[in-house]
Amino acid sequence: MFSFHSQRVRVGGSGSRRLLWASVLLVTLTAALAGQPAGSEWKAVRFEPRGISLAGPDLSQHYLVLGVDQLGNEADVTHLCRIISSHPRIVTVDTDNSVVTGKSSGRAEIRLTLGDVHDSVEVAVGEGRSEMAVNFSSDVVSILTTKGCNGSGCHGSPAGQNGFKLSLFGYDIGADHQMIIHGHDGRRVDLEHPEQSLLLRKPTFQVAHGGGRLFDVDSEEYETISSWLQSGAPLDGSGVRLEKLELYPAERILAGLGAGQRLAAMGRLSDGTTRDMTREVRYLSADEAVATVSPEGTIASSGRGLTTITARAMGKVATSQIGVIDKLAGDNFPSLERNNFIDDLVFAKLRKMNVRPAPLSSDEEFLRRVYLDAIGWLPTPREVSEFVNDTQPGKRARLIDRLLERPEHASHWTVRFEDWLRNCQLHMQGRSMGVFKDWIREWLRTDRPYDAFVRSLLTSLGDTMRNPAANFWNPSADFMSKQFSVTKATPTVSRLFLGIRLECAECHNHPLENFTQDDFYGLAAFLARLRVKHGTGAYRRTWYLEESGEVEHPQTKRPVAPKLPADATPEIPEEVDRRQILAEWVVSPSNPYFARATVNRFWYQYFGAGIVEPYDDLRSTNLPTNRALLDRLAQFFVESGFRLKALHRLILNSRTYQASSTVAGRDRKPSPLERVLFARYPPQRLPAETLLDAVGQVTGVPHRFKGYPQGTSAKDIYIPDIPDYFLVTFGLPRRDILKGRAETPTLSQSLHLMNGDSLREKVEASDNVLGELLEQGASDSEIVSEIYLRAYSRQPKPTELETITEFLSAEQAGGRDHRRGLENFLWAVLNSKEFQLNH
Amino acid sequence: MRIGTGDLPGCSRRDFLKIGGLAFAGLNLPKLLAASGGASERSCIVIFQNGGASQFETFDPKPDAPSGIRGPFNPIPTAVPGIHISELLPRTAKRMNRFALIRSMNSDEAIHERARQYIFSGTRPRNETLHPSYGAVVAREWSPKNGLPPFVAIPTTDLAAEAGFLGPTYDPFVAGDPNTEKFSVKDLTLPTGISLAEAGARTRLLSALDREFAKVEKSPLIDSMDEFHQKAFDLISSPRAKKAFAISEEPEKLRETYGRTAVGQSALLARRLIEAGVRLATVFHGGYDSHVKNQERHGKLVPEFDQAFAALLDDLDERGLLATTLVLVIGDFGRTPKINSQGGRDHWPRAFSVALAGAGIQGGAVVGSTDDQASDPKDRPVKIEDLGATVYRALGIDYRKNYHFGGRPIAINKEGHPVDELWS
Repeated sequence: MFSFHSQRVRVGGSGSRRLLWASVLLVTLTAALAGQPAGSEWKAVRFEPRGISLAGPDLSQHYLVLGVDQLGNEADVTHLCRIISSHPRIVTVDTDNSVVTGKSSGRAEIRLTLGDVHDSVEVAVGEGRSEMAVNFSSDVVSILTTKGCNGSGCHGSPAGQNGFKLSLFGYDIGADHQMIIHGHDGRRVDLEHPEQSLLLRKPTFQVAHGGGRLFDVDSEEYETISSWLQSGAPLDGSGVRLEKLELYPAERILAGLGAGQRLAAMGRLSDGTTRDMTREVRYLSADEAVATVSPEGTIASSGRGLTTITARAMGKVATSQIGVIDKLAGDNFPSLERNNFIDDLVFAKLRKMNVRPAPLSSDEEFLRRVYLDAIGWLPTPREVSEFVNDTQPGKRARLIDRLLERPEHASHWTVRFEDWLRNCQLHMQGRSMGVFKDWIREWLRTDRPYDAFVRSLLTSLGDTMRNPAANFWNPSADFMSKQFSVTKATPTVSRLFLGIRLECAECHNHPLENFTQDDFYGLAAFLARLRVKHGTGAYRRTWYLEESGEVEHPQTKRPVAPKLPADATPEIPEEVDRRQILAEWVVSPSNPYFARATVNRFWYQYFGAGIVEPYDDLRSTNLPTNRALLDRLAQFFVESGFRLKALHRLILNSRTYQASSTVAGRDRKPSPLERVLFARYPPQRLPAETLLDAVGQVTGVPHRFKGYPQGTSAKDIYIPDIPDYFLVTFGLPRRDILKGRAETPTLSQSLHLMNGDSLREKVEASDNVLGELLEQGASDSEIVSEIYLRAYSRQPKPTELETITEFLSAEQAGGRDHRRGLENFLWAVLNSKEFQLNH
Repeated sequence: MRIGTGDLPGCSRRDFLKIGGLAFAGLNLPKLLAASGGASERSCIVIFQNGGASQFETFDPKPDAPSGIRGPFNPIPTAVPGIHISELLPRTAKRMNRFALIRSMNSDEAIHERARQYIFSGTRPRNETLHPSYGAVVAREWSPKNGLPPFVAIPTTDLAAEAGFLGPTYDPFVAGDPNTEKFSVKDLTLPTGISLAEAGARTRLLSALDREFAKVEKSPLIDSMDEFHQKAFDLISSPRAKKAFAISEEPEKLRETYGRTAVGQSALLARRLIEAGVRLATVFHGGYDSHVKNQERHGKLVPEFDQAFAALLDDLDERGLLATTLVLVIGDFGRTPKINSQGGRDHWPRAFSVALAGAGIQGGAVVGSTDDQASDPKDRPVKIEDLGATVYRALGIDYRKNYHFGGRPIAINKEGHPVDELWS
């Protein structure tokens, strides 16, 4: 320990020697916890939070300091750096407890030094009374939150607890005040004799309390509630409100088990001051298997992965993203060739989290993958050999350009859009489904801008047979009454184009979110006047606008004016279709949600995981695994003029997309972070339509759909009256209900592949691939090669050829004729994972 | 699990007192459940009356109502003195001591799709999010037995039976119609001409091909594909599984006793499957939606049901399965008291009957009653949620348990309370 004496530094002004000793001791601990090699050089140092503005003397704020070393790794250096105050009479620094405290009004600079790097921040101290009045929202509800009183397992549950009901985590301050003061005839408070109030006697267990003893009579909590009651228990008449909650550090990577990080929380109040909320918020870790958080805000790592710590108080929420890894990346971390900015941002994150990226895919691997993803078909054996034998540079980029121009690209992605927009039979009674499908496909084929696409949908009116875009509203017709349902349409619009799930807000404010019931009905008001008429035979529908009509707020029972989520209330002239205002706002480049929601949705399609997961839930507590990537992709999409093909081209050309799906060393335990940080291409199931088309390609016998000409692609059929068993079994969704495409394997799938007629008929057809090759007099090894090229886009390895040859001989020995043996080989290929997955 | 509120799943207030006493003797709740057959040894057969059967023509006849309401059929006495049911159910009447009735079911969902989802899950459909059916929850909570799918629908399935947000893994396995000449379950048997040996050989080749691909990470997706492939192969190759679906092995006489009808043979297949290890089998019996010609429809369908249900109760009882098998008879809703101008009855959710038997349900119990026109409960209205809690209690499933979907907890059954009287 004595060896650290040399690190003693002189702290100007207020720093006492005793404190300094304590920090020296902490230096060693912190260094050990951070996994930071002693003596490493620092590149930057940063004090957080910034913009501290204490209301008055005697108020404090917790802080922390992060350092960045030469390799780009971050460490908690709160106790490693020198910190001084420029004016100790105004602000003092307590390095032992990491708090700054106001002493008198004025401004002081906090200066810190770590090795050769420096940082400084200004701290303001106001003249505020040292005894601030207790506020209901900021003080009392804060206690109810930190003590768990308004949690979902207690009084915050929808039914309350023993007649005492609070809003979940205090999102509805007014209702909570009402309940406390007036609920049960006001028996919970006694303003004459505050100490007799049940609000104090219950949590101190002076009377029996199901929740037990939460604090003592001589505690700070008791004092706070008691003085609030003495002051007449007001609902913050003139008090300041919490406007924003901030949590520090916003992002942090911990190396090793048991590594820690102290959090600091700061509130920004309506009077412009800040308040230390570090001990006043309720912390929660989204995944305790990754990291836990104590009630005081100390994080401890518990396993590899990524988690979000949320802090809440008074209806506000803030997050910190915590990654836990075994150890930080050293200087031997591989540097990779990049193709475009996606790679820069993905690799930077991988490096930071010390996750090794997979090597580049082989030509065959890439070829099969990009065909399946871009056009939904396997490459033909000829396309395989042409590509593999092409020696010109840039062949991958040229192939991508060609694929994006093929009509199959539009057909393939049209099916995705049909899922998203829920182009379905039940609500549409059949006929206009095809009209809508054709319209979407043509839009994608010609790559008209996506913002215009969305604008067309949102402002569409008229006969669904004549104006295809109007079919967008069909799933918003009520199941039974067949009338337009604004409460069905609102969350659909919000989820599809903003990535915001507003469903919950139909009935209640979300406890963790900034979107409220007012936002739901404000958005609904844009759609209030939409109506539908049904034609004869129920085949046709006509969407039109009423001249008047408003939505009613379920609580106030008053009509709600159109209001954009988390935005201003626009001025709308009476004669204007409100939906136009909505559409313009949705697709506006300044709308932070639209482009992000769109690029995340497409990213999900390619990588099986969104940068935010679930991909259509971009609420503020649901953090992207790579924020810089999401932001930059969104910016790119806006700058491209909302061209989807530009987005496809960018993703397909990235080294990230072209990474191998194979794990480098067989023994290496794959990190759970590989998938969410996009270190390699994840094997994915083929969509039902693509799988069925691929079976047709390999066997040479396209699937036959009732009522369609031979050779029609599964992607191009309109959903028939009796859906195809294969497609339904492999996940074709029922689009009339909110039920996404099934992504889990099922027993019926396995059975159908093993025994079902969809495969069997094609394997046994006399004029299939086997029949053709046998007629040409192909040898077994030629047949095996051809099937391998068709199904796997590669030649068989010698060992595989040997296995198959042995199998074919054994089949003959078992009394099966030559062709039957080959059929069984073909069956095995079609059942194999290498065929059924895109990888 | 909340103890002492009386809604402890699988455990009545009285049981609770017993446990309190037994706890000292070292017999805790899981042991108690095990001692009484154990939750995981329970199974369930649901007979679903598609379209909604009329309470008048089944379990709640109203002989004193005006003729435009009471309908053409008369009540008959049952094995339990004082209880009368429709004359269309003569065999069922003789077995009244083996099953219980709730006559005061009370709902407000009059739309088929919604009503069916509601009563097959015990949870009101909301926001188009499909709540898992009883069968899907059972499949999720209990592991499969003897390589058989845990949840089977006969002869077809319905949206209401699906697993909803639990995902298609827990959807029912569809058996097909066992009342057809050459009944075979779709994809369950090897294609004609392919022997088990041949299937085994090609499956071994498949494994060899897959090994080459195993360099790709062992992901949950790949594991689960392997698992289902294995299950499928077990199902095909296991004689026991094959036997379970082989209704032709049942004695001719028993097949006649159940009735050579879709519902008769489906009920018999359900019993076979339960015996072999299926956890919940549901039989859909269709066409009760009698907006026209109520008399004709019920006159045909109810006797079919009567024969099947009576045979099922006898058969389960004889095999000692009734003690552990809950038999549940439900449908979309009831039918209007007033017979319409086309001789039909329309949708009526306000009052209707359900029947329950086995798994500890007290035979001969009748819970609730309706007014003299069977239009509203007269006493003890029972909500669909309560029926759901009752089903889960009988099966020993903790129905307040939460699943997580879309970022929020969703309880298996959030607010129902079991109908205690069925156990008294």
